[in-house]
This record gives sequence, C-alpha cells and structure tokens, in this order.
Amino acid sequence: MSELSVNHLLGIKYLKKEDIELIFETADQFKEVINRPIKKVPSLRDITIANLFFENSTRTKLSFELAEKRLSADVINFSASQSSVKKGETLVDTVNNILSMKVDMVVMRHPNPGAGVFLSKHVNASIINAGDGAHEHPTQALLDSYSIREKLETVKGKNVVIVGDILHSRVALSNIYALQLQGANVMVCGPKTLIPKYIKELGVIVETNLRKALEWCDVANMLRVQNERMDISYFPSTREYTQQFGVNKDILNSLNKDIVIMHPGPINRGVEITSDVADSKQAIILDQVENGVAIRMAVIYLLASKIKQ
Amino acid sequence: MNALIKSATVVDSKSDFHNETVDILIEKGRIAKISKRISNPNNYREIKLDNLHVSQGWFDSSVSFGEPGFEERETIDNGLKTASKSGFTAVALNANSFPVIDSYADISFVKSKASNHATQLLPIGALTKESKGIDLAELYDMSNAGAVAFYDYQKPISNPNLAKIAMQYAGNFNGLICSFPQENKITGTGVVNEHVNSTKLGLKGNPNLAEDLQVARDLFLLEYTEGKLHIPTISTAKSVDLIRQAKAKKLDVSCSVAIHNLIYTDDVLSDFDTNFKVLPPLRTKNDCNALIEGLKDGTIDMVTADHNPIDIEDKKVEFDYAKYGTIGLESSFGALQTIFTTKKAIGLLTQGKSRFGVDENTINVGNDAELTLFNPDVNYQFSVSNILSKSKNSAFIGQDLKGMAYGIVANKKIVLL
Repeated sequence: MSELSVNHLLGIKYLKKEDIELIFETADQFKEVINRPIKKVPSLRDITIANLFFENSTRTKLSFELAEKRLSADVINFSASQSSVKKGETLVDTVNNILSMKVDMVVMRHPNPGAGVFLSKHVNASIINAGDGAHEHPTQALLDSYSIREKLETVKGKNVVIVGDILHSRVALSNIYALQLQGANVMVCGPKTLIPKYIKELGVIVETNLRKALEWCDVANMLRVQNERMDISYFPSTREYTQQFGVNKDILNSLNKDIVIMHPGPINRGVEITSDVADSKQAIILDQVENGVAIRMAVIYLLASKIKQ
Repeated sequence: MNALIKSATVVDSKSDFHNETVDILIEKGRIAKISKRISNPNNYREIKLDNLHVSQGWFDSSVSFGEPGFEERETIDNGLKTASKSGFTAVALNANSFPVIDSYADISFVKSKASNHATQLLPIGALTKESKGIDLAELYDMSNAGAVAFYDYQKPISNPNLAKIAMQYAGNFNGLICSFPQENKITGTGVVNEHVNSTKLGLKGNPNLAEDLQVARDLFLLEYTEGKLHIPTISTAKSVDLIRQAKAKKLDVSCSVAIHNLIYTDDVLSDFDTNFKVLPPLRTKNDCNALIEGLKDGTIDMVTADHNPIDIEDKKVEFDYAKYGTIGLESSFGALQTIFTTKKAIGLLTQGKSRFGVDENTINVGNDAELTLFNPDVNYQFSVSNILSKSKNSAFIGQDLKGMAYGIVANKKIVLL
C-alpha cells in the first residue's frame, strides 16, 4: 500500500489496518528526520495548511504546527476567540472564507462531535480531525499505538487498559478503534459513572477495579478527568477518585511485572498518576509527545500527496 | 362541490363497499351515490387516476407549521396545502409558534387562518402559559375557542404536581392533556439515543430511562386523578409495556408514535446527518419492533408524522447545534407501507380521530365526502422533489417508499397533487 484509503483523517474508525501500517512506516522516516541537525524537509513547499482551533489546545496545536513547518508547508493559525464564529458566522462559512485564500488542508479541533465529518461534506479541502468533542482524536491514537510499537515492538496481542474518564474522552474511543485494528486487547477502567453503559458492545472489557486492570495489562493509558465537560459531579471528590483510580509507585511496585505507563497529557499530577510514576522509566509520556510530531508529519504528508494527484 | 370519482377501490372496513372498485358520485360535498358504474349526465368534474384507491380521510395528531413567528419554516397556508396533497383531511396543530398559542385569541387566529382549506385544522393549545411549564394556560377558554388538546410541544411537564393539577382541572370539561414523555434531568444534554451508537459517535446519550420514568410517572398521576391523558410520540419498548398495562386497568390514556421512530434506528446517525436529529431520538431495533407490536395490538392508538419543518440554517450546522425535527406528511403513507399492508397502513392513518374531536365519515351514501385518494402500489425513492413543505428537512430523503397520495376530497373541496 503506497497511499491512504481516505482523503481526510476524520477518525480511526474510517481507516483500514493497512492505513495505520503506512502511517507508521512513514512516521519512522520522519522520526529520523526530526532527529537530524537540520530537522526539515522540503516536501510540502507548495501546500498551505490552516490550523483551526475552536477549542483550547496547547500541545496538539504546537505538535501540528511543528509537523507542518518541518515539512515546509505554509501555515496559518486561527482560533475561535479571534474568529467571527462568535459574531454568528457558521462553521462552513468560516472555513470557506479561509479556503478561498487558497488553503489546501484544514486541521481542526472543535468541541462538537462530528464537526470534522460535517465539514468534509461541505467544503473542498482535506480535513484532519484534531479532536471533535467526545468523538475522535485520531492522531493521538496513532501516536499512542506508535509509541507502544516502539516500546514493545508490536501492538498485536498486547493488553492495553485505558483508565479514567472514558465517557468524555475522544482519546479513549480513537484508541479503542486503533488498538483493536492492530490486534490488541482493550480494557477500560474507571468509575461506572464515567464509562458509557453500552461500551462493551465495542468489544472491550470493562473493569472498575484498578488493581485488577493493572495486573491484566501490558500498557496502562491514563486519562485525565475532564471536569470541563461535566454538567454534574460524577464522583464525590478528586481525593476519592485518586484513592480508587490513581496510579502510584506502590501499586506499580506491587505488580509482578513492569507495565508501560502512558498519558496523552496534560497530566494532573497526584490525581490520575503521581509524580514518581510520571517521571519513572516505565512512563513513556515524553516519547509520546516526540512521536506525535512524527505521526502528524506522516499523516499530513500522506494526505497532501493525495491532494497533489 | 360536485364530482364523480371513477373506478376507485374502496379501502374502508366500515364501508359497505370495502374492497370493491366503484364510482363515487359527490353532490354538494356529500356522497350521493356509490355504484359499479355511474354515468355523468350533469357533466361534473370527473376524477380518474391510475390505480385509484380511496379511503376515509387521513388524520395526523401532531404537526407544526411555524406560524405565527416562524414563517420562514412554514406557514399555515402552505402547511395545510401540503397536508391536503399528502392525503390528510385533518391535522392537529401544535402550539409551538412564537408567541405560543396559549389563549382564546390565539386559537381563534389559527383557526381563522385555516378556514378556507380542504384540510381541517385542529388547534392544540399550550398547556402552560407561554409553554414555560409554570402556570396553567386558560384551558377552558381555549377549549371554547376550539382547542382539541393541551400540550407544551416536546416540553416535558417537569413538575409532577402541575401535571397532576392539569389532569384534574381538565377533567371539569373533558379536556385532553398531553404530556411529552421525557424526564429532562435524566436526558441532561443528551441529543441521540444512549446506546452503542452514541458512544461510537461521541454524541451525548438520551437514555430510554428518561422516557420510561416519565411515562410511569404520568400513568400514576392519571390513575390518581382519573383524568384523560394523551402521550405523544413514545419511542421505547418499555413505554409500550407501561401503556399496555395502564389500558388493561382501563385508564383513559392514549398515545402516538412518530413514523420515523418506527422506520429508523439510531444506526442511521453514523454520518451525523442532522435530518435524523429528532425528539424522541431514533432508538434501537428492539424498540422499533415493540412499537410496531404496540400498533398491532392497539396499545398505541395512532401514528403521526410529527411533521416539524426546520429551515436549513438550523439544520446545516454541527449536530449538537441542529434543531430537532423532521417533516413527514409527504412521506407518511409511503413509509408506513414499507412495514405494513395497505389495509393496516390506512387503518393507522385514519385512527385517533375521535380522541381529537374529529368526526369519522365512512365511505357510505349520505355521509360528508371526506376522502383520501391514493395509489398504494407506486414504488419510488423519496427525494427533495417530493417535498411540498417550505422546509426540506426530511429524514426520508433517499428512502425507498411504496404508495403515494393523490390528494383529498374534503370540506367541499378537491385538492390534488
């Protein structure tokens, strides 16, 4: 396979296994590039990319922007606080206005699930979903799998538990799809109030006991509790949440194996993981961030080469 | 109005000519003669249509036309023309306009707008002032103006005591209270059915539980008050069970189901198409089957299109921001025939009239001519070109349908497509 089966990256559920393999192989090459003294290639000098962030983001936005610049694309940035969206303009109009300035590709983060799918039907540009509500965050899932592959050689057959606020998480859903596509076993673990009632139908194991989950897994992907998305308290206090679902060094040391600890960031130290865990050798959190740039370069490069056709 | 309908097959189990192909002579708006062959010496308008079938006029208990206040969505005039051409001789109009229809004067206004149409418009008054759910509107006064029921469209009566009082009070004049089946605190910010599809799409779920709780609550209140209750647009399997039990206890309860809730499951949401954003949400196959079963055994009294025109500005947006609703009058019959026989589909479209104060005119000599003309056998893919409404937000675009109305003869008028 030499090209992606899709023209947009809207979610992992629209990808084939071969797409993921192609993205990883391409990312391998870009990872080598970004570790050179001159970290830049001229591949996308003729491509203009708009980063549209209708929701706050620091690392994802930086990571995309860096990936675009490393590929020599022209980059424009736009965020909702500066936009006319607040004046009542529709999403389609806003994006079409930007596209009329001859933009080839749109990277969009948006608070509403399906915003990327909606946009792809109404505008003429390649869309990369950088997170849409609680729907998908495909590049995060790709970099997570890529990091597991790097650390454990393969994703296939590995036991991966996603711990925390599954209900409000786009990272969880994209990870479930990505991991399953590559043959991993997936478990979700968290308080029952933060696990979607019907998630078992996606073929995942549901566990509410953290110790059991950690004993089962090879990799634990720790999610942040997304207080900003909650309309009501789903648990009585952060303290009580941490008592049940926080990973600390003691619990890690009590396991009879070394599991890999991941986190998509931003970390709430002392809540979902303690500092000594975040900074331990078992944690690959900063590798994930580095791999994020390589993965995003790969995705942008592969989609851009479809535009060029 | 005089006319001669030629060679029409009667579908009306209460007619002496059920299943027969006959000519029907209409003089001064009444059925003057029904016979195998009627000559036309007075040169009346002849209605001769391909594979013509005729039934009692169809009725829909829940339509919205926007006027006053949302004329960009639909007007009463075009809404009624749409209803006529779609085969409906009577429709009950929801009070979800701006201002809300909550007074004698408002009911009179709506009725005056509808007076010259073939399709009869039956206004539903708001249950509470401005549909705010706080104080009862003047129900008795509206009833005197012609309101056939009282309903804050798609707004649950959150306060159980208010629901209790409404049921008791309307009992004084045999008023029909409608209660939208949803417990809002359970629904929260849910926009689609809570199930595996809501998880897959990252959309907030509105669980069956929200409906089941409210239906159970309302049935308890009904038993206590000995009132008269209509539950519009139920959507869950458990609602059907609860209402079945209530009817066995002889409670005075009726209910309806929206046709789209029979046809579609939440599987159709995979593309985030906002035409499928409806309230109650599209549920699962299990619910659809239970609803169909409820119609078959009479637990559910009537079907409705829950026709709700929404302009494109409120539909061509992100899913969370889109307004709820689909139009449906144009597709009602064609959609019903994808799951029911012609006889059953016609039965469903003519049920529920008496609950909303509509006279039933069977196809017999001497009765007012209140007829729907249709072709039950035409197969087609429903498209925007089939839409007569001002707004085009139909969940049925692209759907294969069977059967189409030619129009109606009613109120001494003939309206054909």
